Amino acid sequence: MVKKKCVAMLLAGGQGSRLHSLTTSIAKPAVPFGGKYRIIDFTLSNCTNSRIDTVGVLTQYQPLVLNSYIGIGSAWDLDRRNGGVTVLPPYTEASGVKWYSGTANAIYQNMNYIEHYNPEYVLVLSGDHIYKMDYSKMLDYHIQNEAEATISVIEVPWDEASRFGIMNTNSNMEITEFEEKPAHPKNNLASMGIYIFKWEYLKKYLEMDNINTASTHDFGKDIIPLFLNAGKRLMAYPFEGYWKDVGTVKSLWEANMDLLEENPGLNLFDHSWRIYSQNPNRPTQYLSSLAEVRESLVNEGCYIEGKVQHSVIFQGVEIGKGTFIEEAVVMPDAVIGQNAIVRRAIVPEKITIPDGVTIEPENGSTEIILVTEHMVEQLRKDVIA
Amino acid sequence: MSRLLGVIDATNLIEGLQDLTLNRSAASIPFAGRYRFIDFILSNMVNSGVESVAIFPKHQYRSLMDHIGSGKNWDLDRKKNGLFFFPPCFEPNENSSVGSFARLEQHIDFFKRSHQDYVFIANSYVITNVDIEEALAEHLIHDHDITELMSHDQSLEMYILKKSLLIELIENRKTSQFISISDVANQTLHNYNIGTYNHNGYVAVMNSIRSYFNHSMDLLDHSVWNQLFSSDRPVFTKVKDEPPTRYSAESVVTNSMIANGATIKGNVDSSIISRAVKIGEGALVKNCIVMQKSHIGENCTLEYVILDKNVRVLDGVTLKGTPDKPLVLRKGSVREMAVSK
Repeated sequence: MVKKKCVAMLLAGGQGSRLHSLTTSIAKPAVPFGGKYRIIDFTLSNCTNSRIDTVGVLTQYQPLVLNSYIGIGSAWDLDRRNGGVTVLPPYTEASGVKWYSGTANAIYQNMNYIEHYNPEYVLVLSGDHIYKMDYSKMLDYHIQNEAEATISVIEVPWDEASRFGIMNTNSNMEITEFEEKPAHPKNNLASMGIYIFKWEYLKKYLEMDNINTASTHDFGKDIIPLFLNAGKRLMAYPFEGYWKDVGTVKSLWEANMDLLEENPGLNLFDHSWRIYSQNPNRPTQYLSSLAEVRESLVNEGCYIEGKVQHSVIFQGVEIGKGTFIEEAVVMPDAVIGQNAIVRRAIVPEKITIPDGVTIEPENGSTEIILVTEHMVEQLRKDVIA
Repeated sequence: MSRLLGVIDATNLIEGLQDLTLNRSAASIPFAGRYRFIDFILSNMVNSGVESVAIFPKHQYRSLMDHIGSGKNWDLDRKKNGLFFFPPCFEPNENSSVGSFARLEQHIDFFKRSHQDYVFIANSYVITNVDIEEALAEHLIHDHDITELMSHDQSLEMYILKKSLLIELIENRKTSQFISISDVANQTLHNYNIGTYNHNGYVAVMNSIRSYFNHSMDLLDHSVWNQLFSSDRPVFTKVKDEPPTRYSAESVVTNSMIANGATIKGNVDSSIISRAVKIGEGALVKNCIVMQKSHIGENCTLEYVILDKNVRVLDGVTLKGTPDKPLVLRKGSVREMAVSK
């Protein structure tokens, strides 16, 4: 086996419970995003664009869709003879099934996968964020600074800093302290959940952490403090650019709306840093003579006869005559009937919205409606009555 | 396992499509925003269970090879069977009829080696969505020697016959004087039993710029769209990692097909827009076909124009063709405003 310089471990087991019905049957990284993609496409595309060709994807919660979506990784050019993408679900040992009890534990349980490639560095990623990043630059930074661990950080507004894991640094960007959701933050550099470790140290600390019964086996809470307490050199890698956690209905909606700006922070049209995905192979979209589509993204296979304003429309969506869609995210194969109104809402996959209904937040509310089967059933009854 | 071997004769040079075939074979002419001609027949075969497809190209086949690749997009990258690409070994005498024996003879070993008993031979310039399995069933029931697929009175120039008969026809071509399958089907001076299978779906025979233009416009009729792109029998093509289409605040798009990766800021009506096309603010694009990666500048007016790939129409240009004679802008060409002296 050819030794790898860097192996990526992508944590994709998150349930994403704050996305409610969007994640009842799929894991958060598999949630559709941006008219065509799934959330995990951004991290996988970053890997391939950064020339990292060995990626272990750790899955746990509702893995069926995610596993079949990743397949052998061809969509991201990660079907490689040596390396490529490997899906790593929890497995049974002689002593019994061990679920991943934390992010660090998930990596610990797959140490044999990493050992197989015997890399010098391990890149730990999460499959929950929307961003474009060249990990090879972060690795160069890690090597140049002779760090034992490097954590990517992003400046967040001071008034929001208490929502994040904050890295306190000295003037050389060395990390002196990690504070998870501090009430009184001393810094506004938030951890992006992207870590590079020298494998020999990570291995040592994962083993130490594993036998510590008081540990929650979490990277931020447990592993980073181990490095800090041992006086290891931890560097913060400042990232500039678009980065968004899409963990809630509101933030998922916002991140979709961000794509519709005149000059979006995250440009999907940049051919030098393409975002790859499993292409759905649907026919070319059709806009009828009654259609009005503005400030929107629309994917293949759509059939649009209504009015669409400032919305993100995924593949295979049908929008009927006289219907008005505004500030909405309509996921694959949803069917919206005629003369309906859908505003400030997320319409999940394959939902059918009947003719003549109105779905919008109450006057003045900044709420985003997540349409559910139950809601649609109720509306259908109301229309009949 | 399918009993049919698929053969796509992509050797035919279509005089009337010359403007679009300067750099490519007819089989790889873009159609419907994201497809190439050959995608339709290839998908028909795959959807009909054909597991082994041989493509015989001839003219300018680089773009065709690039498009087909390993056949993966059609699920034809197989250990057993799959896709076979047979470039010409030498230039046989010009013969533009479908299923040229001289051309097939160059790779007769392929036919002898294949285990399938029947061969389906098609051209690449007739676009339809046909169930070949059903045609084979008819062929077997009626015990024809050769079944010709028809759409009412028009031949689709697609044929089913026993592989053994095909080999016999190829090997005896010098004595029989038959030059191709279509030649055998069209002649009566032989003892072969030629039957027909009637296909009722939409058929587009692409033999001129005008037919190409009209059939493209037919796609805007939803019943035609449904007949070609039925979800049970999807049309596969080479996938591109283009983002969804982006419509600006000013865009006005009606009665049009728009492919992924396009950025639309102007007005588009009754047109077919391919992948990664850009249409600038204030532009009016009406009754046009715009192929991949072409850019139309601001305040242009284009009517009845076919823009091949990578065409640049600079700001302010007006170009008009007619329904009978659409204007064709060749691949990679640039149009700028005439400078008045």
